[in-house]
Amino acid sequence: MKDRAIAILRSLIFVSFSLILCAVVFQFAGYNAPQMLTAVVDGAFLRPGAVEQSLRWALPLFITAVGVGISFRAGFFNIGAQGQFYVGAIAAAFAAEALRGGPAFIVIPLIFLAGMTGGALWALWPGLLKLRSGTDEVITTLMGNFLAGLLLVYVTSGPLKDPSGSGQQASSRPLDAAYRISNSLGLSPTIIGIAIVVGILMWLLVNRTSFGVLASLAGRNGTMVRWQGAKLWQLGLSSFVISGALAGLAGTIEFMGPNGRIASGFLPTHGFTAILIALVANLSVVGTAAAAIFFGGLASAALYLPIMAGLPAAAIDIINAAIALFITARSNLVEKFLRLGRRSS
Amino acid sequence: MSIHSPPALACRDVTVRYGDVTALSDVSVAFEPGLIHAVVGQNGAGKTTFARVASGLVQPTNGAVEIAGQVIRTGHVRESRAAGVELVHQSFALPPSFTVAEAMEFGAPGRGRLYSRKGLAEKWRAHLAGLDIQVDFSKRIRDLPVETQQSIEIARALITDARVLILDEPTAVLSPVGIEMLFARVRRLKQRGVTVILILHKIREVLGIADTITVLRGGRRVEGPVLAADISADHLATLIVGDAVKGHKPGDRDALVGNGGAHADVPSGHQRYASLAPALVLSAVSTVPDSEGAPLDKVSLSIRPGEIVGIAGVEGNGQKTLVRAIADLAGLSAGTIALGGEDITRKSLAARRAAGLRIIPFERNIEGLSLTSSLWENWSARELLQGPLLRLVNPARIRALCDGSLKKWGVHYHTSSQRAGSLSGGNAQKVILAREIDDDAKLIIAAQPTRGLDIGATAFVWESLRAARDKGAAILLISSDLDELFDISDRVVVMLSGRVAGAFAAPYDIQSVGAAMTGAGAAATGTQR
Repeated sequence: MKDRAIAILRSLIFVSFSLILCAVVFQFAGYNAPQMLTAVVDGAFLRPGAVEQSLRWALPLFITAVGVGISFRAGFFNIGAQGQFYVGAIAAAFAAEALRGGPAFIVIPLIFLAGMTGGALWALWPGLLKLRSGTDEVITTLMGNFLAGLLLVYVTSGPLKDPSGSGQQASSRPLDAAYRISNSLGLSPTIIGIAIVVGILMWLLVNRTSFGVLASLAGRNGTMVRWQGAKLWQLGLSSFVISGALAGLAGTIEFMGPNGRIASGFLPTHGFTAILIALVANLSVVGTAAAAIFFGGLASAALYLPIMAGLPAAAIDIINAAIALFITARSNLVEKFLRLGRRSS
Repeated sequence: MSIHSPPALACRDVTVRYGDVTALSDVSVAFEPGLIHAVVGQNGAGKTTFARVASGLVQPTNGAVEIAGQVIRTGHVRESRAAGVELVHQSFALPPSFTVAEAMEFGAPGRGRLYSRKGLAEKWRAHLAGLDIQVDFSKRIRDLPVETQQSIEIARALITDARVLILDEPTAVLSPVGIEMLFARVRRLKQRGVTVILILHKIREVLGIADTITVLRGGRRVEGPVLAADISADHLATLIVGDAVKGHKPGDRDALVGNGGAHADVPSGHQRYASLAPALVLSAVSTVPDSEGAPLDKVSLSIRPGEIVGIAGVEGNGQKTLVRAIADLAGLSAGTIALGGEDITRKSLAARRAAGLRIIPFERNIEGLSLTSSLWENWSARELLQGPLLRLVNPARIRALCDGSLKKWGVHYHTSSQRAGSLSGGNAQKVILAREIDDDAKLIIAAQPTRGLDIGATAFVWESLRAARDKGAAILLISSDLDELFDISDRVVVMLSGRVAGAFAAPYDIQSVGAAMTGAGAAATGTQR
């Protein structure tokens, strides 16, 4: 219990430090920092419709981030969420194209299946390389992101090209309205339902199954689990595949929901934001939900700032970058701060 | 003792605290120059901390260090070295990928020059020859036998005309013959006027080499330096152990302090189980060579239920491969393994564990426990792996079971969700015992189960293994401590270069076991190249 409180406190401190750093940057860049931060909060949660908009961004991010958390827990630094997200969306778009005209209650599940399979396969090969020959998964999954991005360019300007497209940005043909799971605002009971089901299942997997306990042990000390008789490739590969499938699922949701099509280079930071969310959440499923809503809010504010408040959307990038900075630095400062707190208690 | 010249090394009121732990408390001691001094005590007595303070590696909380009469700043390695004090560590610090010549040059005074391979070898040839060390300069450190590695460490320490040489547990990794060679080297150093301080924990060794003896117990100096001639082995044993093993077998006490030859009680396996089929049978097992150690070469071994079989040998002669082969972690190239009469050669480790295999692995903190995971996770891993991966578990229930088990094993801990890394070595080992010793255990492999443990914990582990044996488990004990093996093994098997080099029954003769460990008995001509 105390450990959990410390973990939450730690994340909150990370985020507060980042916001302070951002305020300094804003001030030096010639903006009024308090005004800027107020506008961000407005854009994220306070203005009318902001909560819906934040959730629209938060739910797919949550799904991807939970998957990222599962592979991180098992000790694999799978940073290929972006690629798995893309390949999931591409596979879903192909399935939609192939099944065009079928009854919705059959087609929709099949599209989902295709999307999750696509994401899972895109995580499978780095997993196999890692577990069979020890290839660094950071390199392979990162390369996988670039490959997937190029694949998306090819697919949207080749096999799936929308002939009526304006040419500004290559994209696939729009999905039939019958198969859409939300309007273009992107929030619907279906999407909320999927996110809740994913959340519950993954919480159970992580906290209430042998797999959860053993994968976490393996992530911290694989040797020890091997001496206990575990097959590391089994734990490891399933972690890779689950995280890929969830990123693919998020890609499918973006395709079937708000976007209704896939476009070359769409949502280019989705996977990276999800990694950030998983890290801020300290890889806990519940924490991921909270962090996803926070980052969803930032995404929503990014759209609001330039239009409604006349402020640059880059402010949100700066905030994201600052959080990433503190998280990856595993800030000594925060550690010291916490240790001081513990000693005095 | 009358003092003619200032002591070579003196400590005054040295206290070292690590957090809440006091490693040394008010230790004052002075070592006369030109003699061989032994500092003895059990694990946790503060010997290594003492060596580190003396060599400037550790800054004491309190106290002063004097070298040849000069007070030096404590906690500064450079100053201590400049004053002539060198420390050879317990675990060797040479980079394994370096050649001998590179290792000698590494860290030597004077830098920023270009070298040729030949030039380096030339540079150090005279120094090593002066110390009677014959070695091929182009060989890499990792390819050298431990004895040679150790002599190179000593040679390195003597580059800068050291006046005081401290050797921390130098005998821990050596065979009886290697120990004799080391001691001969130490005596030659003494003739050259070097003051040698040996950190040791075996009485037999201490009495064989030291001029004076200082005993540490629980971070305090309880005796010394006294002349070795003025103290009896029995008195020394009492000083080292204190009251810690009262109530334990007398043989255990002698084994704990390395007072060899005095084993009053000869262990005998349980005849009750003698008629049962063997618990473990290895038939001509050979393994595929890999990077982790000497491969097995046609090893045959059989252990009955209710029997403790000890494996002796210089480290790195296939003991680890033996354990890995039984644990399905090393590839077999020939032979079969049977557990409880059932052929398990092709079975996975999980299946072998289901059949009653239990392992207390070599590396407690790597192979035995995940230090950053909670106690209950560590404790439950074996059990969880016996079921399907997607089996639903209830952490609260596991924690309750874990609490019960850890209490039964006398583990001192706060909560089952604390990290395994927060436990002391002895408590951590007890967590492993709690996981690995249960009523279904048919074969328990105990690999170096007492390494680094203090007296109480060591005696506890021995008693636990005996208790498991008395219940009918077969026990395979791997240890580099002959006293430990002789004390609790019903039989001792010696391994050399991946082969079984000899089998002995109690009462054991340390000379013949030692000869088998180095191959001196079997093939006196075979060791020379």
